[in-house]
Amino acid sequence: MNQAYYNFVVNQKAHRAYRHDFADAEKLASDYSAHGLGDAERVVDRFEKLCADETPVILEGQQIVFLRTVKKAPNIYTDEEWKEIQTKRKLHELGFVSNLTPDYASTIAQGFDKKLETANEYQKREISAILDLCDRYCAEAHRVGREDVAEILQNVPRKGAKTLREALQFFRILHFSLWLEGTYHNTVGRFDLMMNSYYEADLAAGRLTRESAQELIEDFFLSFNLDNDLYHGLQQGDDGQSLVLGGRTLNSDSCFSELSELCLIASRNLMVIDPKLNLRVDKNTPARIYELGTELTEAGLGFPQYSNDDVAIPALLKLGYAYEDAVNYGVAACWEFIVPAVSRDIVNMASLNFSKNVNAAIIASLPTAKTFEELMDSVKDVIRAEVNRLLEDCFYERWFVPSPMMDLLSREEKYNNYGIHGTAIASGTDSLAAVRQYVYDEKRISPERLLRALGTNYRDDPELLHLLRVEAPKMGNDIDWVDAISVELLDTFSDALAGRTNALGGCFRAGTGSALNYIRQAVETGATADGRLMGEPFGTNFSVNLFSKIKGPVSVIRSFTKQHFDKAINGGPLTLEFSSTVFRNEDSKKKVAELVRYFIQRGGHQLQLNAVNFETLRDAQIHPENHGHLVVRIWGWSAYFVELDRCYQDHVMARQQYQV
Amino acid sequence: MKTGIIFDVKEFSLNDGDGIRTTVFFKGCPLRCIWCHNPEGFSSARELFLTQNGCTHCGLCQKSCSHPDCQGLGRCIHICPQGLVKAVGREVDATQLASEIRQAEDLLLFGGGVTLSGGEVMLQPEFAIELIEALKPLHVLIETCGYAPTETFSRVASHCDTVYFDLKLADRDLHRTYTGVYNDLILQNLAWLQNSGIDFRIRTPLIPGITDTDENLAAIATLAKCATVELLPYNPLAGAKYAGLGKNFTTQIQADHSRIRDTASLPDHFILK
Repeated sequence: MNQAYYNFVVNQKAHRAYRHDFADAEKLASDYSAHGLGDAERVVDRFEKLCADETPVILEGQQIVFLRTVKKAPNIYTDEEWKEIQTKRKLHELGFVSNLTPDYASTIAQGFDKKLETANEYQKREISAILDLCDRYCAEAHRVGREDVAEILQNVPRKGAKTLREALQFFRILHFSLWLEGTYHNTVGRFDLMMNSYYEADLAAGRLTRESAQELIEDFFLSFNLDNDLYHGLQQGDDGQSLVLGGRTLNSDSCFSELSELCLIASRNLMVIDPKLNLRVDKNTPARIYELGTELTEAGLGFPQYSNDDVAIPALLKLGYAYEDAVNYGVAACWEFIVPAVSRDIVNMASLNFSKNVNAAIIASLPTAKTFEELMDSVKDVIRAEVNRLLEDCFYERWFVPSPMMDLLSREEKYNNYGIHGTAIASGTDSLAAVRQYVYDEKRISPERLLRALGTNYRDDPELLHLLRVEAPKMGNDIDWVDAISVELLDTFSDALAGRTNALGGCFRAGTGSALNYIRQAVETGATADGRLMGEPFGTNFSVNLFSKIKGPVSVIRSFTKQHFDKAINGGPLTLEFSSTVFRNEDSKKKVAELVRYFIQRGGHQLQLNAVNFETLRDAQIHPENHGHLVVRIWGWSAYFVELDRCYQDHVMARQQYQV
Repeated sequence: MKTGIIFDVKEFSLNDGDGIRTTVFFKGCPLRCIWCHNPEGFSSARELFLTQNGCTHCGLCQKSCSHPDCQGLGRCIHICPQGLVKAVGREVDATQLASEIRQAEDLLLFGGGVTLSGGEVMLQPEFAIELIEALKPLHVLIETCGYAPTETFSRVASHCDTVYFDLKLADRDLHRTYTGVYNDLILQNLAWLQNSGIDFRIRTPLIPGITDTDENLAAIATLAKCATVELLPYNPLAGAKYAGLGKNFTTQIQADHSRIRDTASLPDHFILK
């Protein structure tokens, strides 16, 4: 990329100086309210006003333009109206459409002129507003002597893209428009597949070389980092800008191309948190691709996250996705499987907390359950009851603030499935393993003693705490009978969801992710029989307990690839943290790549890896000013370490770390 | 049914041979290299290990207890909530250990395998042989200091696939000064190994000012007879585990990177890992 441009936006963040506040932001919603404007009318009117208020800015050395200059979009509802909406309608998160992958590809190929033929009035108004902004960008390009930019904007977005740069510029305009409209966690989809024909045509015509394409991709990737501090997220970095590479075509040909490789390299060169790269692989993926991925892992961004086609595609088929859609899967903001252009799934409707429910069953049934099997039956009953409880609410469809732009960019609304996360499976499994071994098999611990300790947060029984926490068998050590408990837990969850439908006729998808619940739901979970103290965080997503004594990453991989993902495919990766020293030479990196391949060949569904240096993280907590660029992987996204709340920083540092 | 004493089994060990390997650390060593970074490998006996970092000094481990396996350790190892107080050294059955390791055979069979390290493998020859046999068809590599009766050395080495042979100092007296023993047996075993037809590699740890001198490396080159010598960089964290065992790491070694870079002028068959 252009070094001056990179410094300007990444190091100096000087582009933020072009931002301004929307004038009279407070007044907009009350005007709408006074005039009794409808929902879509408000969305579109605000979109028009925001476009008009945008200042075209073309930065020195920048190829892909469009910079968000209006800081915060004004609300479209007054506080009273919003409160009323919240009571009358069932909302999801912020109430705006989120976490979807639009149909960028066909829009970029067709152009807005073509889209206008089928657009409704609202969409026409939004297109017109964005075209007007494009024209002002074009004028600005002429003014500052950037004829290259002007030339591109004379073709796209009105006409379909003909070159890679046009396609990328078009993408940027669409992505920018969605965020501006209020839609959030806007994911990218299968980027290499979408862009490869433009890339190849440019190479063939001599418009690009591999080197100039590399530069262009890097410039484009930077565009995801221009405004991401303005986007909604629970933490800075949780912005959903995930991008998928690799995978297969309908004919099962590999989609990994030279362009995919350029993307992996671009991310490594840029060292910024967006876009978040995902790599689709399968048992036939050659070692070289894993090695390319590992080069990026070494950089410490927490990319790429791997998804296994051999597992995900059949599982999606089983859930009722059509073949052409299952094969075309991507990921939502974090790791939830979602199909571009046709999914209106809500992938994070709720979360089932395995640890808490197992604990509830132990407390309720341990005094009476004669055998471990009897106890397991109660555990299953509690999980089924919890699923029923969650579905009482999750059954109902959600109301979303209209999004004419997302509708324009969607091919059809084919799927309305709802995903439920499954949090803290290791804590639930370990609790049951400890009970089985010490209470039932060895009869070393009486039910009364265990229940007393759980009730008092182990305050008076340090010996029991030690036994359960330090010596008890743990998930992650490849102990079959322990891992079998996790299989039963996950099966119970997914079986309880199987065949259930929501108000729109969609199905429910069981998942293995936790999202932020490894902290949020941990706070509401008392002391557990795995020796975990009240409130203590769980492992992130589908991972070992933080304090488990673990043999190593091989056993962890084995333990976490035994479950039946064919019926639990909402997503949620195993997370492995490696000390950065592991990557110290080519030979070691090859071994890490081989380990990832082993995970895929054993039928794991998703994997994310972190390369971390504990001392650096510790220093970053003390001297954040020296570590502004330090990136870590959180639950399904990567972030600048120093911008995270302390609890998320501490959690990364507390995870199992594999050393040389 | 041979049992042995080990202090660790490490999965995905990256510096102990080709491919993905699991390394078994034998407990007990006849040498006392002053730079050793695995002091729990010295003694053949089970011993107390106190991890200092994270200790809240709650005092629980100092209360007397009746656990049979705590007797003689001076602390209770079944009480620390953080697991900081433990015993190192575990009596294991060779067949049992092999079957645990072989659980991951679907990974270790392809280009990797198992490494036996220590401590010193040759101090527990019968256990080592039974373990190696039980691990087959996995590739087994032994890392050894070479100090053992030649009869024992040759018997154990004949069972494994590859030997990584540590050659620290060529000079007899210096060897005694820094490792506690003369190198006569070691050189004798090296000579045997060189004629045995067994796959082997000579390895020399680069200890600044001690083993990385031009004289020593030149002499090692001669002893190696043109076989590859792998140079292992000095581990600057070598002293990390001494305090946990109640031992002092008194060695003063300044890791001097310029000296390590100097090895570029050495004969071709030296490779720096």
